[in-house]
Amino acid sequence: MDFVLIMKLIPIYKESIFLTLKLSLCAIMISLFLGIVCSAISYMKIPIVSWIIKFYVEISRNTPLTIQLFFLYFSLPLFGVRLSSFNCALFGLSFLGGSYMCEAVKGGFDSIKKTQIESGLSIGLNNWQLICHIILPQAIVLSMPLIAGVIVFLIKETSVAGIVALADVMFVTKDVIGMYYCTNEALFMLIVSYVVIILPFVLLFTFLKEKIKYIDNKILF
Amino acid sequence: MKKFKKIFLFCAAILLGLTIFGCSSEKNLLDEIKERGKIKIGVFIDKFPFGYIDTNGENQGYDVFLAKRIAKDLLGDESKLEFVPMEAANRVSYLLSGKVDVTLANFTITKDREKVVNFSKPYMKVRLGIASPKKFPISNIEELNGKTLIVNKGTTAEVFFATNHPEIKLLKFDQNTEAFNALANGRGDAMSHDNTILYAWVNGNDDFSVSVDSFGSESFIAPAVRKSDHDLLSWLDDEIKKLREEKFFYEDYEKTLYPIYGDLVEADNVVGVY
Amino acid sequence: MNILSIGVLDFFVQEAVGFKRLLRAFCVNLYISLVSVLLSIFFGILFGFIVSKRKIFRIVFKIFLEIVRIIPIFAWLFLFYFKLSGKNGGLSGTAVSIIVFFVWGTFEFSDIILSSMEALPKHQYESGLAIGFTYKQLYKKIIMPQIMRMVLPNAINLIVRMIKTTSIVTLIGVIEVLKVGQQIIEYNVFKNPKAPFFVYGFIFALFFVACQTVSCFAKFFENKFKI
Repeated sequence: MDFVLIMKLIPIYKESIFLTLKLSLCAIMISLFLGIVCSAISYMKIPIVSWIIKFYVEISRNTPLTIQLFFLYFSLPLFGVRLSSFNCALFGLSFLGGSYMCEAVKGGFDSIKKTQIESGLSIGLNNWQLICHIILPQAIVLSMPLIAGVIVFLIKETSVAGIVALADVMFVTKDVIGMYYCTNEALFMLIVSYVVIILPFVLLFTFLKEKIKYIDNKILF
Repeated sequence: MKKFKKIFLFCAAILLGLTIFGCSSEKNLLDEIKERGKIKIGVFIDKFPFGYIDTNGENQGYDVFLAKRIAKDLLGDESKLEFVPMEAANRVSYLLSGKVDVTLANFTITKDREKVVNFSKPYMKVRLGIASPKKFPISNIEELNGKTLIVNKGTTAEVFFATNHPEIKLLKFDQNTEAFNALANGRGDAMSHDNTILYAWVNGNDDFSVSVDSFGSESFIAPAVRKSDHDLLSWLDDEIKKLREEKFFYEDYEKTLYPIYGDLVEADNVVGVY
Repeated sequence: MNILSIGVLDFFVQEAVGFKRLLRAFCVNLYISLVSVLLSIFFGILFGFIVSKRKIFRIVFKIFLEIVRIIPIFAWLFLFYFKLSGKNGGLSGTAVSIIVFFVWGTFEFSDIILSSMEALPKHQYESGLAIGFTYKQLYKKIIMPQIMRMVLPNAINLIVRMIKTTSIVTLIGVIEVLKVGQQIIEYNVFKNPKAPFFVYGFIFALFFVACQTVSCFAKFFENKFKI
């Protein structure tokens, strides 16, 4: 293990870690928004749009991200739509993440007690107010563990984004092995990078899960 | 509980066995290949016309033709050969980790590579070139300033630009297919690779041309083996010398490269190596 | 006048052999998923029951589970592919994929079983033991039927995920559907520039059909046994 070489590799990996985090966070934001909207629409059972959303969720959950990315990056230009590597990866990840978030938040919607809805209706709130003020906040809090799972899943899926020439951690590892022939050092940096990226999220979510259980027990009996 | 413990230990033993299976004892590679009855050669499967797959799923190409001849001379039969598909970036790591015995994937001799592998005698000459759209040709490297250049990861082109011209933005791809696809889709202003590959590609693609025929120094392509396999290295050296005397490489060129290049390129410029 | 429709007809006629190759290559994906799924289910259930016995096992298991989960599957494949090798060239891409998927699958299945068992109220165990059941009878008659309800949807989710994730093995060089697709596109790059759309579209459809079939089969299975 050549530690001098590892020192040389650190700046390259640092940049890739930042890019991975940037991509993940953008994708998470978009997926969360998409997921909440889709899930709310499904919950309210709006006729045609719910079907479209169901179709979207089925397609996105049953196909791998690799295919979606290849399709977006190499087939779309044939129709004049050319997305950059980052946008392509973002689109693909958000498309995938949106459906997973939708399922996660749906779990939250399903576990809201009926009494909450009935109480809301009985004090004269209309459907829209009911959703915004009562159901949605609770659904999001209740589905926190599932949302946390999806967030970590999305961060890990960025490892595949290298196929569209995005310089994330895996891409950089392959590149470094190809240029400097230092397999051991590169693989070591690979593991360290992913631990550095994901471990804080895992610890944060474990901490939050405990807090939510406490809230759950106290308020929502 | 006892039963579970037994099953658990059994599984652990299997996993351990699998791991140990990966390692094996020291042996002369040439003898090992003869004993195995098969030689594993790493080639490209997407670098037309040097190593590619045809409609029937068969390996074809200039490197593949040589690989078949090596198998025939070493083991007596062309079919005692296993083609291992390679990407440019993993040619060294596949060789070093034992996945292949010889790398015959259009591998250019460079000083950095000589530190980690041994090269045999060269069988081809090559220089780097740049291909760009006919509408916006790039006639020299200076014009690339501020533009995007597509390269294939792990090639001499990538190393050249990464070391000498860090100001040029590089768009890197794992495979040739993806890199050429990206050039065709207009994702980059130009692409740099071995000029032999570029000429083959622009032949079928009218919108592009090889705007810089060659830059940098002339390089040679040779088979590569691990540093510890001296016996295979000396066998390959003798084999390539023999094939040169036989004018085998001119025959290889006639069969695999002439149909593509026609009279555009002189055979001597590619295979005349001393 | 639709460019797409002309392209589709041309392509199907010329490249029927290409689609056959894709189907054959998809069998490699299915083979990897099938073997890993079967092995993971068996060892996962075993592991799940063993680990549930003692608290210390659970803690160690959770640590290993987090380690397996933190590193993406692609990174594990890469690591195993380069490190599980000796002079002899080590294991092929397919073998490495099966090993990695098997380890990942086993941990995930064990986790599903473990969390289902933890979610079951403790009095189920205690009542069963109180009325004189042996451990074997307890698990067979009381625990298993109840955790099945919680395990099955998660298990199906995991199986579908495993089938999807086999698409990643192309990146360590296994000749499966995506790689063959790229070869076909490469060969057609001059003859048929619309090739990427059809080839990737076809592969997209293949995965969709495979995963959707598994989910539908699971729903049918659930309804049939009224779980």
